Amino acid sequence: MKIGLKILVFLAFSWGSLDAQTIIPGWFENLPDAPAGNMYAVGYSGKYINQSIARQAAIKKALHNMVKQQRTRLVFEIEEYSDGRLRLLNPSLELSYDESILNRIEATYATIDSSITYDGYFILISLNSLQRAPRVPSDDTGWDENKPKWTTSLPKSKNFNYGVGIVSNYSSWVRAWNDADEYARFDLGKNIKIDAHSIHAIERDNKYIIESKILQQSYDENIEGAIIVSRWYDAENDTYYSLCRQKKL
Amino acid sequence: MKKLIIIALMIPLALMLVNCGGKPKAKMNDIPEWYLNPPKAEDAFYEAGDAAKQSMSLAKESADARARDAIARTLEVKVSNMLKNFMQQSGMGDDAEALEFTSSVSKQVANTVLRGVQIVKREMKTEGSQYHAYSLAEYNLNSLIQETVNEAKKQKALYNEAKANLSFDDLEGEIQKLEAVGN
Repeated sequence: MKIGLKILVFLAFSWGSLDAQTIIPGWFENLPDAPAGNMYAVGYSGKYINQSIARQAAIKKALHNMVKQQRTRLVFEIEEYSDGRLRLLNPSLELSYDESILNRIEATYATIDSSITYDGYFILISLNSLQRAPRVPSDDTGWDENKPKWTTSLPKSKNFNYGVGIVSNYSSWVRAWNDADEYARFDLGKNIKIDAHSIHAIERDNKYIIESKILQQSYDENIEGAIIVSRWYDAENDTYYSLCRQKKL
Repeated sequence: MKKLIIIALMIPLALMLVNCGGKPKAKMNDIPEWYLNPPKAEDAFYEAGDAAKQSMSLAKESADARARDAIARTLEVKVSNMLKNFMQQSGMGDDAEALEFTSSVSKQVANTVLRGVQIVKREMKTEGSQYHAYSLAEYNLNSLIQETVNEAKKQKALYNEAKANLSFDDLEGEIQKLEAVGN
């Protein structure tokens, strides 16, 4: 009876940990540098009954990621109003890209590596086919136990711009990574340039100080060569981190 | 039996007391040191922002926006002080046109596109059911000097009204000396 209970507890815990996405290909966590003139992109999909459908979904995701890496138009706006009692926050994020780039990539891309884990299907593609097979770590690994430094401090570099995306409490890890990646792209855009306006007013009487504020920040930019180079999953807090990098022009 | 009744009465009372506190506050140990005391540097200045929200991504967006806003506001004051000093040294600090020029340039610099403002540090804490994000924005002093020079040049007509015989090189030279602005 006791042994049965132990097995049940073990299964429950192992099921939970597998569900929390513990096994991933190394290149999903840290994207290797592609050979000069080429570019890598990662695609992923969740659980599918049919493996070929999972692969198709992962390839589709990788192709769209490749297009976004090439050139994306990002329109960002955030407004915050507060009058001491009420506080309203209204962020708006729009991402768009040229479909013709997608058609071009579909004709030239090559698969570098792929992996099936308990959670889903992962695929690594390159922009153009490579003459020699690249050295890409193909082993599946677990997430780094130590929190990477970039999750709290933005990397400093003369050659690259960076942005970080953070999301939490998602029921689907595919959506969570998708949103963390997009937030990282928008964060990179904000770190390059942003239009900022604000009005602050402070009203004092004998009892209270009321601070009213209208804050507006926005940008509308075409971002080229912004790549998600690192990801990290904080299993303890169920939080997803993505790091986006762009070579400075 | 008496003990049981006392305990039964204590539990709702304890829950009431817990709920009376309103929104949970951040523990002092949890607040990042750089939020309480933003770093100082000769070539950059820093401002911090924070926000507590139910959604982690909203908390981050809001904290980032507030840190950037703080940079923009500090920037306006710094540029205004810097231009006022220059105008006074040029013997025209009280002229209405000079004041208008100072005010106009500093406001425009603060409201213009902030290039290179980066969120260099960020921490996320949980407070009850809320996420509390802390962000530290960094602005490079070279960007400030460049923005001020560009804006002052744009408003050359206003400047010329203020003082026709002062060369623009004087103003540019004065702005370039502003290593102390970040301190």
